[in-house]
Order: sequence, then structure tokens, then C-alpha cells
Amino acid sequence: MKRGGADTRLAYGLMAPALVLIIAVMAYPVAWEVWTSFTNFSVRSEGRAFVGLANYRAMLGDPLFWWALAVTIVYFLVTTTAKLALGLGMALLLARPSRLRALVFLAVFLPWAYPGGVTVVAWYWMLNPPLITSYSLVAGTLKHAVDSTLGPGAWAFVSVALFNVWRGGSFTAVFLLAGLNAIPTELFDYAALETRSAWQRLRHVTVPLLRPFLALAVFLSFTGAFADLANVWMLTGGRIVFPVIGTYAYWLGIRQGQFGEAAAWSLSLVPLLALALLVLFRWFDPPAERPA
Amino acid sequence: MVIERRWKKWVYFYIPLTLFVIGTLFPFYWMFVTAIRPDAELYRSWRAATNTPFWTLQPTLDHFRDLLEKTTFPQWLWNTFFIACVSTVISLFCGLLAGYALARLKFPMAGMLGTSIFVTYLVPPTLLFIPLADIIRSFQLGNTPWALILTYPTFLIPFSTWLLMGYFKTIPKELEECARIDGATRFGAMIRIIFPIAVPGILSAGIFAFTLSWNEFIYALVFLSSPEKKTVPVGVVSELIRGDIYFWGQLMAGALLGSIPVALVYSFFVEYYVTGLTGSVKG
Repeated sequence: MKRGGADTRLAYGLMAPALVLIIAVMAYPVAWEVWTSFTNFSVRSEGRAFVGLANYRAMLGDPLFWWALAVTIVYFLVTTTAKLALGLGMALLLARPSRLRALVFLAVFLPWAYPGGVTVVAWYWMLNPPLITSYSLVAGTLKHAVDSTLGPGAWAFVSVALFNVWRGGSFTAVFLLAGLNAIPTELFDYAALETRSAWQRLRHVTVPLLRPFLALAVFLSFTGAFADLANVWMLTGGRIVFPVIGTYAYWLGIRQGQFGEAAAWSLSLVPLLALALLVLFRWFDPPAERPA
Repeated sequence: MVIERRWKKWVYFYIPLTLFVIGTLFPFYWMFVTAIRPDAELYRSWRAATNTPFWTLQPTLDHFRDLLEKTTFPQWLWNTFFIACVSTVISLFCGLLAGYALARLKFPMAGMLGTSIFVTYLVPPTLLFIPLADIIRSFQLGNTPWALILTYPTFLIPFSTWLLMGYFKTIPKELEECARIDGATRFGAMIRIIFPIAVPGILSAGIFAFTLSWNEFIYALVFLSSPEKKTVPVGVVSELIRGDIYFWGQLMAGALLGSIPVALVYSFFVEYYVTGLTGSVKG
């Protein structure tokens, strides 16, 4: 009994620094945000008054919100599918022992490890060069072709999606590779005896075994896409060619100082995130069981 | 048979692998070529007879010199380095203790705390930057490195706690029990036995945390305003792109130099990193 008490005290003592910081920089801000979303707090007017659901009503009545939501969902679907396919393929290739493995590992990891803020510049230069560069004509023709078939802003969307896949795909690969390594090799040996083709093996053995990892990868990709602000902002040079929810919230809150409305926009992500989290928990056991 | 197998290996292994690596690395190559290309070549028409889009015959270091002498780039490097180091140390410290407690100690609400730390990891910065901006302003921390040092743990602590918790679980309990039989306290066993074994895990959590804070964009964009206070990712994008004038050479030079520390950290620790990711004492 006494031992248990000492353990508990030690445990809370050890948890304390992390908990204090998390509560100070996360729980409090979230509470602030919820409260602010019910007020008309803005740098333009003095004080803040409680306005109830007015911000949410304004947001839901705004066609821009639905447009941003649609763009965000398409963005999530496109990038996630591509990242998972690419990541799984790469993970399977990397799982094979080979002399070049360390080198390839490094190459695969570089897009993620390299600051997105600077690689995005390289992508910007590749995909959206301004007029006075040596190959802007080529890129311009391409942009024009995409935009005229799919509508204005399509090229910007394609660029951001490509960048996201390039950056996230390799992360997914490394992540799934960790998952593959955690699976006992005997299972694959049995599978090789029991199945006829590599494709069967992939469908009936590898993918089901990797399910928790795939679920988490989907979720991370989900938050990445839904909360994406940085990629879109950087790759379109701060000009919002097509809005996602994050960029609009940034625009409202930081650039225009309308905190109340911006808070409502940010919080509109919460139901979606909660739903995704629920599905994720349903799909695989609690995270404690996941080998890191 | 042997010939066929070799042929198959090429089709299913080497060729896809090569394509993938080329796809992954091409933007870096492009960055490098652009950084060493003289200005005259950068703006030459694509159709010019002398155009060599994929390489350059007159490499120059002008852009690097301009970047280091005419912009506040060195200052950005220092800012980023300082911020990344301090916030990594803070988060590792918290994550190490919390991760140990969650992995090893039995206490009420352990499961709940573990799950909620996992959930906070998934809370995106997009949700937090608006309230944090207001808090930072009311504490007058705006435009100082402390604004970032105090906010980066929002994503670093949950992350490193979670990673280290997983790592601690892979270390056999017996090691600790032996130490305790020999008279060590639980705290002593943790410091002297478990932490030294966990070094690969700690290093990989540290590398991860350092990378995440080095690369962070949104908070740095929102909380810092004057050019000399900025971090590399924000500085490169916001200060070297002015209106429609792009200093391409300098931009690319900045992009290359700005991530050297991260690249170095990775190439030095890749072994640790891989073991940290795939578990410790296997078998």
C-alpha cells in the first residue's frame, strides 16, 4: 500500500512538467478560443460582447466556407490516396535488405527532414516560375492547360497537392517501414507458402497486419490536410488562389484581426477531427499498444 | 532461372527504387543548380541555343556571398538554431520524465493521461495559433524568441512523450528490478539504468523534435514580425520574396544553407534514428 502511494507521487511528479506546459499552452488557448468564438472580439472595435452563435451562423451562411470545406476534403482525399500508395510501395521496397539501404533511407527521409519552408521555394520555382525566368514559358503553358480544363486555381491546387505528397509520402514510407519491422518475419514466411502471388500476399497478409499503422498514417494525413495552412500559404506565396479553412482563418484572425470570427472558423475543424479520431480508435486498439 | 530472377529483381526492385529516389531528390538538385547558376543564365530564354536547363557550365558562388553579406540570413540561422535547441531541450526533459512515468509506473488515471497526451499530439497548430497570438500579445512576448520557445512544446512534448514511452516499453523490466534489488531507489534506477539504455530513443526523439522546431512555419510566421528576428523558413519565404521580384539565386542558396544543420544531424545519427524507430533491445 505504501509502495503504491510512493509510486503515484513519483508518477505525478514526473508528469508535472509536461502537464503544466501542455495545460498552459494548449488547454487554456483552446478554452480561450471557444469563448472568443461566441464574442465579437476584434481589433477594430473596443471590448468584446457576447454574440452567441452569430459567428457560426455567419460562417455557415458564407458560400466561401462551403467552398473552402470542399477544397479541403478533395485535398485530403487526393493527397492521402497518393501518399498511402506511394508510402506502402516504398516501405515494401525498403524492407528488403540491400546494400544501399542506409543511403536510400536517407534519400527517402530528406524531403521530410528538410524544412518545408525552404523546399517549398524549390517547388515554387519548378511549378510556378514568374515571368522573367528561363523556362517560365514551359511552365506557363502547362499551367494554362491545367487551369483551362479544370478551372482557375487548379494548377495551384495541383502544385500544393504534389508538394504535400512529395513531403508526406516519404514520411508515410518510413512510418510504414517501422510497422513492417514490427511484424514477426515468420508470418511473412508462412504467407509465402500459403499464397500464390505477391499481390495476394499484399492484400491478405501485409495490409491487414499493417492496419494500425495505416490507420494512423491516414489520420496524420487527415490532420495534415485539414489543418494545412503552411503548405498552401507558402506555395501560393501568400496569395490565396484557392482557400482551405486554415488559410481563411489565418486571413481573418491575423491579417484582419477579427478574432471572434476566425476562432469560429478554426473550431469548425473540431467536429471533423473528432469524427476522424473516433473512426481511428475504432479501427485499431488504443495508441498505448502501438510500438513506436 | 537465375537470369530470369535477376531480370525480375531489376523490374520489381531496382527500377522502382531508382525512380523513387530520383523523384525524391530532384527538387534538391534543382535547388542546388539554381543556387550556383549565374544570374544571366537564370533569366535566359528557354529557347536560346545555349540554354542548358539541367546543369550549368559557369557555376558561381555569388548568390551565397550576397546571401551572407547583404541579407540578415546569418541572423536567421542563429535564431532558428537557438530556438530549436532550447525548445528541444525543454520538450525532451518533459517528455523523458512523462514517458517513463507512463510506461513504467502504475498510478490512477495513467491510461487516461496517456490517451490525452496522444490526442493533444493530434491537435493541429491551425487550431491554436489564433488564441496563442492573443496570449503572446498580452504577455508582450511577440517578436521575441520566447514566443516560439514557449509554444513549440505544444507539439513537441506530446510527440516526444509518446515516442519515448514506446521506447521505454521495449526495455526489459528485469534490468530495473535487478538494480532495485541491489538497493537503488526507483528514481535512481531510472536515472542510472534506464536512461542510459534509452539513449538511442532519446537521440531519435531529440532529432525529431529539433527537426520539427527547425521546420516550424505557422507560429514563426504569426509571432515574429521584424526581419532580424525571423527564423530561416519564414525569413527565406517572406524576406527574399518581395512583391513580384524574386531573388532566385539567393533564395535557393538560402534554402540550401538553411537546412544544412538538419541534414548534418540526420546523416550523423541515421543509425540511431533507425534503431530508435524500430525498437531497442530486439530478440
